[in-house]
Amino acid sequence: MIRDITLGQYFPGNTIAHRLDPRSKLIVVLLFIVALFLAKSYVSYGLMTAVVIACVAISRIKLKTVLRNLKPLILIFVITAFVNLFYTEGDVLVQFWVFKITMQGVIRACQMLLRISLLITGTFLLTYTTSPLALTDGMESLLSPLKKIHLPVHELAMMMSIALRFIPTLVEETDKIMSAQKARGANFDTGKFTEKAKALLPLLVPLFVSASRRADELAVAMECRCYHGGEGRTRMKVLTLHTRDGVVLLLGVVLLAGMIVLRSFGL
Amino acid sequence: MSSIIEIKNCTFQYPEAEQTALSGLSLEIERGSFVAVLGHNGSGKSTLAKLMNGLLIPTEGQVLVNGLDTANEANILNVRRTVGMVFQNPDNQIVANVVEDDVAFAPENLGVPSEEIRVRVDEALKAVGMYEFRMHAPHLLSGGQKQRVAIAGVIAMQPDCIVLDEPTAMLDPAGRAEIISTAHRLCREKGITVVLITHHMNECVDADRLIVMSDGHLVADGKPETVFSQVELLRQERLTTPETTALLYALNQKGWNLPLEALRTEECAQVIASALPENLPDVPLQTKAEEDRAESATALEIRGLSHCYSVGTPFEKVAVENINLTLGTSQIIGLIGHTGSGKSTLIQHLNGLLKPTEGSILLDGQDIHASKALLRQARFRVGLVFQYPEYQLFEETVFRDIAFGPKNMGLSETEIDERVREAARFTGVTEDLFERSPLELSGGQKRRVAIAGVIAMRPDVLVLDEPTAGLDPQGCASILENIMEYHRQTKATVLIVTHSMEDISRIADRLVVMNRSHMVMEGVPDEIFAHAPELEEMGLAVPESARLAARLRELGLPLPENIYTTERLLECILTLKGGAAQ
Repeated sequence: MIRDITLGQYFPGNTIAHRLDPRSKLIVVLLFIVALFLAKSYVSYGLMTAVVIACVAISRIKLKTVLRNLKPLILIFVITAFVNLFYTEGDVLVQFWVFKITMQGVIRACQMLLRISLLITGTFLLTYTTSPLALTDGMESLLSPLKKIHLPVHELAMMMSIALRFIPTLVEETDKIMSAQKARGANFDTGKFTEKAKALLPLLVPLFVSASRRADELAVAMECRCYHGGEGRTRMKVLTLHTRDGVVLLLGVVLLAGMIVLRSFGL
Repeated sequence: MSSIIEIKNCTFQYPEAEQTALSGLSLEIERGSFVAVLGHNGSGKSTLAKLMNGLLIPTEGQVLVNGLDTANEANILNVRRTVGMVFQNPDNQIVANVVEDDVAFAPENLGVPSEEIRVRVDEALKAVGMYEFRMHAPHLLSGGQKQRVAIAGVIAMQPDCIVLDEPTAMLDPAGRAEIISTAHRLCREKGITVVLITHHMNECVDADRLIVMSDGHLVADGKPETVFSQVELLRQERLTTPETTALLYALNQKGWNLPLEALRTEECAQVIASALPENLPDVPLQTKAEEDRAESATALEIRGLSHCYSVGTPFEKVAVENINLTLGTSQIIGLIGHTGSGKSTLIQHLNGLLKPTEGSILLDGQDIHASKALLRQARFRVGLVFQYPEYQLFEETVFRDIAFGPKNMGLSETEIDERVREAARFTGVTEDLFERSPLELSGGQKRRVAIAGVIAMRPDVLVLDEPTAGLDPQGCASILENIMEYHRQTKATVLIVTHSMEDISRIADRLVVMNRSHMVMEGVPDEIFAHAPELEEMGLAVPESARLAARLRELGLPLPENIYTTERLLECILTLKGGAAQ
């Protein structure tokens, strides 16, 4: 069932990772990503892996959940491994027909897989512990200096949070329309590519019509609740930085600095 | 100043419309009152609502809210803050994905300080009884709960008045009752003026004032008792009256002299009881049960059906469990149950859209999942019309949309043409609509086209999920009549899923009641309605006439237990009177 897809994988909780300000989490994740791309030795990869494992433990995420999150990426893993395994020059380990596997290839494939897994898990930690709304709030706040160059930051954030709000509703609707058309003999599963694309018409047309109807009604409802843009707007939940945010930010900077130092020593 | 809203001689015309939606209408809404506005679709009642908070500005005339002219741009925020608005579809009014954040939306827009927003949000949620749900995601709530969140979102602005524009049209009876009682509580306890726009008569009964609209005019205005007494006028305006009034009116037609003002069940029962002498003879119990039991051949059989969603995940949920049911040929079956009882899951098995977790569906004695060909056959032989089917229309023209099913069946052009025309006839879609785009039709017409799209496959079993949801009483009656016509002419088996026991009890041969994933009752309407108290316990709305009959029995009238239509109740009361006279 299409309905089973969970989008925005936020799981409410009350760990320190959940309580952090979304802004500090966003910044730390950025620092983490940069640090991750600086890693190139066993030592640095080991360090990054340890950091991610520690964060997963602190956020009390089950290992099973982390693995399930990586599952949809299997195809990417396979392709990455394939490319790195067969197309890296170096000391040949095995050779058959036109393929040859090198020692360097094996190492590089392992590193790439680890890098992707850490990247995905790191960002997953952010979405796991932060509600989508807090996330957009954080982004709005971080990007607010850009208002000076007339970037509609508030509007963008509003659009994003509304999109997030309507994803489950539209997923449910898609499911419903699909069933309704199947009941009239529509076939979404088989056929050639062009036939499949054509078969989507009975699904997409009603979906667009309904989405635009919803948008209209929502706009009126928002107007009725006195929405008039970001100007003069207050928030119920004001974002405030605590000591813990300072500590986490500092740790993030230390991690990045550490990776730079390690790299300068060739590790 | 005793009026909160003053509408002065207003006319409104939509930009591209030929006729005015409102013409020269004047109305004052008294502060703190509960006003219900009744009218069929297109009577101008929604336009009236939109005038009240400046969403629409009158073409002529003036609307004053707390003395402020809505036409003045400078007043608009103040007007909207004073008159809050709640619409039909709760899904399209909720902005945030956490309940409390959504309720905070309006005060945030108004620039209320953070601490005060917190207080207002908590108060608003408590006022609608949704405080415990403040951290929930709206899309996981029931319709009634969502609508209460939408009301809280408006209450948080601390408005003097709220306008509810058909807030119950998309809800089940339990959700409907939730909303109406919430509205009354807000009016009573918080002194908020309520304007309730609806086409359900029974929601207006407890209002302070009832306004009836037709073609952009007010046709009646007064206390609900007084307005509903004007039975001829209401019928002329194609509106029905509450069953109590209808019964009293019918009795008066037979020469009784009863006050039509006795609107509530209790009053009505008292009035009727006191008009009858004591020591009445028993009314002979007429049981249609035996004759209706006539065995008919099996069209579709459901054997030991269970369905479980998301097996193997934390969201695992049993939707239906061990259902055994046989649908006879050319029977009309009503499937009743509250939202979430498993009705929708059950019917999606009948044409093989869902595969049973356990059990099987037999069509002509063959399991529909036995082979791909049989499954494909089941798709077409069991026609399934979903709830709000108009949202599935997609083709460029009405004709092509109705033809979608027959085309998928691989029929010839001439055959398709014939079937489309036939289906259109059954559903009252006239041929001049064939070349129009289905998207530009009215709501009722769209629904007809969508139903025609399924009927065009000439199914032996026609299954309809809430075919009358959201329509006004007249629309409901005519859609049901169309379905009956198809049934009469083709002898097809018809299964109707519904909340409205009133309608279904008149036409169904058999009723099936579902509660919490199980089939709990099955039988002819007579048998089912003998269990009225149990049905009410399950959150199902028992027909007013059944409730009235139950109350009359308590008052000592020897009425049989299987009364569920006004006609039958009337007949029984007349028999009582006749018997006493002898």
